[in-house]
Amino acid sequence: MAGSPDGKGPGGAEVAWSIIGLLLAGVIAWGGIGWLVDKWAGTNVFLPVGILVGAAGAFYLVIRRYGRG
Amino acid sequence: MTMPPTLLARAGFRAPGTEDFQWPAIWTIHLDGFTLEINRTALLMILAAVAVLVLFLIAFRRPRVVPRGAQNLVEVGVDFVRRQIILEVIGRDGLRFLPYLTTLFFFIFFANVLEIVPGINFPATSRMALPAFLAILSWLLFNWVGIRSQGLGRYLRNTILPPGIPWPLYFLIAPIEFVSTLIVRPVTLSVRLLANMIAGHLILAVFFLGTVYLIERPATAVFAVPAFVMAVALVGFELIVALLQAYIFTILTAVYLAGALEPEH
Repeated sequence: MAGSPDGKGPGGAEVAWSIIGLLLAGVIAWGGIGWLVDKWAGTNVFLPVGILVGAAGAFYLVIRRYGRG
Repeated sequence: MTMPPTLLARAGFRAPGTEDFQWPAIWTIHLDGFTLEINRTALLMILAAVAVLVLFLIAFRRPRVVPRGAQNLVEVGVDFVRRQIILEVIGRDGLRFLPYLTTLFFFIFFANVLEIVPGINFPATSRMALPAFLAILSWLLFNWVGIRSQGLGRYLRNTILPPGIPWPLYFLIAPIEFVSTLIVRPVTLSVRLLANMIAGHLILAVFFLGTVYLIERPATAVFAVPAFVMAVALVGFELIVALLQAYIFTILTAVYLAGALEPEH
C-alpha cells in the first residue's frame, strides 16, 4: 500500500505548492462559475461571490488535507 | 531617437530579455496547408532525445551482471527512479511505469542541462512547447490509468469528491477538486519547469553579459571579477536546478499516478 502521496517526495516545498495550487483551483473554479452566471444573468455580483466562495472552499480543503498533524 | 528607458540601457548595457529566447528558422518546410520551421530550439529537443537514446544504447549494448562504465552510471539513474521515485511513492504496482518515468527523468535532465553545455547554452525546456507537451503526456497517463483501474464513473467520483467530506459540502467542493486535479496539475507541472529554466537562462545571461560589459570599460573592469565568479557559481547552481527540476517533474507524475491507482485515503 503506497503511503500518503504528499508526505513523501521533495519535502515541505511541495506541500506549499500544493496548497497554492488548491487555493488557485478554488478561486478559478468558483470564480469561473460565478463569471459564467454573470454572463448569462447579466449581473455583476456573482464573480466576486464566486471567488470568495471558491477561496473559502479551498481553505476548507487545505485545512482538511494538511491541517491535522 | 528616444531615450532608452533604463539607466543601465543608457549606459550601454543590453539586458537579456524575451528576444534571447527566440531563434530564427534554420529550415522551413512547406507542407500542404501549414509551414514547419526548424529552429535552434527544435534541434536542441532532438539532440536531447538522441542523447538519451544513445546513452541507453551504449550502456546496455552488452550488459554485464556486475555493471561497468556507462552501464554502471545509467543503472544508478534507473535505480534512483525505481527506488526513490516509484517504490517510495507508488509501490510495487508502479513498476510498470519505470520505462516512462526513467525516460522522462533523463530526457528532462538532458534538455535542461543544455543550458550549461558550452556552445549551446540554451535549455530546450525554456520554450513552452516541450514542458507543455510533457505535462499533457503525464496528464493523459494518470487519467488513463485512473480510468483503467477504477472505471470512469468511480474514478471521476473519487477524484471530484474525496472521501471524508460531509455530503452537504459536495456541491461546493466538487468544482474545486475538478479544477485542482484536471486543470491546475498540468498547468503547474509545465509552468514550474518552464519558469525555472527561463529564470536560469536569464540570470546566467545577466552575469556573463555583465562580466563582458564591465571588463570592456576601464572604470568598471575590476568589478568584472566578482561578476565572473558569480557567473561560474551560477553555472554550478544551474546544474543542480536542471537535475532537481527533472526530479520534481518525474516524482509529481508518480504522485499523480499513485493517486489515480488508489483513491484518496
